[in-house]
Amino acid sequence: MTPPTHAATAPSPHTAAAPVSTQALTLLAGDRVLIDRADLRLDAGQVLSLTGGAGTGKTLLLRALAGLPLPGVTLAGQARTDGRRLLIAQGGRLAPQRPLALQAADVIGHHLGLDASAALRRMADALDRMGVPPAARRFDLPPERLPDSLRWAALFALGIAVGPAVLLADAPAAGLDPTVRLRLLHRLAEWARSSATALILAGRPEDGLDGPADARLCLHEGRVLPTPPIPDPLPAPDHAHHPAGAAVMTAHGLTMSFPMGTGPTGEARRLTAVHSLDLELVDGETLVLLGESGSGKAMLARALLHLPAPSTGRVVWMGRDLTKADDATLRRVRRDVQPLFPDPAGSLDPAMTVGAQLTAVLESLRPDIPADRRPQRVVETLRAVGLPTDTATRWPASLRPLEAARVGLARALMPDPRALVCDEPLATLSAEDRAEFWDDLLTARDRRHLSLILTTERAEEGLRHADRALVLLMGRVVERGSADDLLHHARHPYTQAMLSAARGDRPALEGDPPSALRQPDGCTLRQRCPKARSFCAQAVPTLEPVGPGHAVACHYWDTP
Amino acid sequence: MSAPPPLPTTTHHGKGAAGLALLVALALACTVAPLLNDGAGPLRADRDPVLTALTDGRGSLSFALLSGLLGAGLGVAWSGLAIALGDRAERRLMGAAARLVALPLALLVPLGVGLTGGGLPVLTALVALSAAPLVAGLAHQDLRALLRRDFLTAARAAGRSKGALLLHHLLPNAVRPLLAAGAIALPRALAVESLASLLGLGLPSSVGSWGGAVGVAARLGDGLALVPAALLLALSLWAFHAVADEALRLAAEGPHGGPSNGLPGGSAPDARP
Ligand code: SF4
Repeated sequence: MTPPTHAATAPSPHTAAAPVSTQALTLLAGDRVLIDRADLRLDAGQVLSLTGGAGTGKTLLLRALAGLPLPGVTLAGQARTDGRRLLIAQGGRLAPQRPLALQAADVIGHHLGLDASAALRRMADALDRMGVPPAARRFDLPPERLPDSLRWAALFALGIAVGPAVLLADAPAAGLDPTVRLRLLHRLAEWARSSATALILAGRPEDGLDGPADARLCLHEGRVLPTPPIPDPLPAPDHAHHPAGAAVMTAHGLTMSFPMGTGPTGEARRLTAVHSLDLELVDGETLVLLGESGSGKAMLARALLHLPAPSTGRVVWMGRDLTKADDATLRRVRRDVQPLFPDPAGSLDPAMTVGAQLTAVLESLRPDIPADRRPQRVVETLRAVGLPTDTATRWPASLRPLEAARVGLARALMPDPRALVCDEPLATLSAEDRAEFWDDLLTARDRRHLSLILTTERAEEGLRHADRALVLLMGRVVERGSADDLLHHARHPYTQAMLSAARGDRPALEGDPPSALRQPDGCTLRQRCPKARSFCAQAVPTLEPVGPGHAVACHYWDTP
Repeated sequence: MSAPPPLPTTTHHGKGAAGLALLVALALACTVAPLLNDGAGPLRADRDPVLTALTDGRGSLSFALLSGLLGAGLGVAWSGLAIALGDRAERRLMGAAARLVALPLALLVPLGVGLTGGGLPVLTALVALSAAPLVAGLAHQDLRALLRRDFLTAARAAGRSKGALLLHHLLPNAVRPLLAAGAIALPRALAVESLASLLGLGLPSSVGSWGGAVGVAARLGDGLALVPAALLLALSLWAFHAVADEALRLAAEGPHGGPSNGLPGGSAPDARP
């Protein structure tokens, strides 16, 4: 093994003692080298992103820097931190049921020796820095009753209030919507720079931590290496892929709503997840539905498959109206249109082998294929998605996430469909697995001339593989256009924010999305939108054309 | 296609296995206890407090099995009916189960026996009914979680008929959680019967019961007779609970090592009241 030359931080002119420095820091579990001779140096006010896939040792490295015990791990080399250090552990551990005010008073009091009221004043200042408006500060509530975004903001604010010299954050704001996550991370990074705190953000490569950072390192096979500049694992938009032709699927006035019990005056209440939406899928095209949680994209994807049927409106596949379809017609449509699920492993029956599940698809959707040819067909389809043929004999629980995703794809391809409706099919995959599965999906699309509908919250990734896109916000389309238009000329503030977040930049939206149960009047983005004016509260904006095939639902899309 | 490979082995079954082994040992001991007096001689167990307690165990264990299974069946049927009826009827039926679980049903059984005059069939029915709401609540939670699983949606997307969905997908996956929910009825039945017998309102003395033996011994101040019966009762309750816990854990693990509830790692909701 060659010795590492160095594990670099951002070039720094400082020569004074850095708040964080390690020399040949090595972590060993028995004979296994987890971290190999890491040299780190982080100056005051510097923000470092440390990325790596699951099990690469990020958490161990942070614990070593925080001086916490590492059970079963031997430490060699040197790890030195100067001044007060604070670790925000993975998952943001706050006692779930103890009111936030008491926890803030405990933590701040413990570190700074302040009484409860002084600690809470400090916490309020820190929440200001995190952009949490006074109305949203629920000191009296326990963290388990706070929305995730507010819980993370409170956790970062606790860190800010303590004011450490070194702040270590393990998987910070993981699981939040990209626009919310990037806003919080940028705010934390800005505070670190202004208060001369050395900040390390550690997480998976796909979590967008590189964006707010000044220096970027990644962990690869135990080595700490500089992150390649602007990693771009995705191919450029596929301009050779030009679908043209008739619409194969259309949806008109599609609405999904659910009973929510009765209101105070006895009236039946319903929660509407998708508002009277129209959609068209052209033969051979890839249509991406962009949206974050609560956008209704998953509901829409399922309604298109009648799983379940929409509350109102209709879906038409190749001239067949699914609303009026009998069982035989619906089965014929299912043969043509197959789904991919967000959790591929969970979409496989745990009590059946992979082969039995694939065969069952043929039995019901392709009765024209004789029973003795089914095993051969199963084997061919497994091979086509890059799986060995013995996968057919395996139980779903024994599959790795990428294998499960491929089995899901194989099952969808079994009846020889003409379209796939994919609901976040890569959501459970790591960065490397995502790249591989994109390949599988696009290869299947191109070889079989499939039309694709694909939902995702990753704007840039989705648009790079799409021909057209719909951007969804709280069950409504806010922008519609070609992938190229949306990538380069997005007009809606929400689309722009999603793209900023995908590129690691700070989204221009402030605050958190409203609850689906208490949507504001008028435009649902107005409480977060930098362009909002009083008229935005008065009328829900409707889609208006802004270019060929490009439409935006915003009253002020043309004002800067 | 070749045969499926061996199933992934499950680990850490120590407590459940110990409980099961203890139950089997107790059942065997209770069965042979009457024969242990000079080999095959007539029953003279009353001379030995341990043998007496073991002999009484026949009544307690077989009654717990009978009424527990009946209660488990009732509870599972209760939850199945609620789901089949759907919406408002489901809410009402399961609301009733939740309210009944909150009541001290164990105390209502001796009361019911006292009011009705008793008898084995009445006691069996009352004990089964006292266990059924708890089983119904657990089974309903499990069935609802199962019905939300994406593999059922995937099977519908694959054009499977309603019959095939039920037979090939729902039932095979429901067996484990329903058995686990039902298993909780056994310790409950044993505990409720023991309490009723302790108060003299349970199994008739001709059948024999640990609860009854403890009650009689306490009234007579016979510590020597009380200790073995109480100890065997406590051991049996522990063993039944250990087996029921293990069943819940295995159900959460799902068939072939897969999570039964769709959560990574098979974490099951803690459904115990
Ligand atoms: S309508 Fe108003 S609030 Fe909504 S996106 Fe446009 S400017 Fe913002």
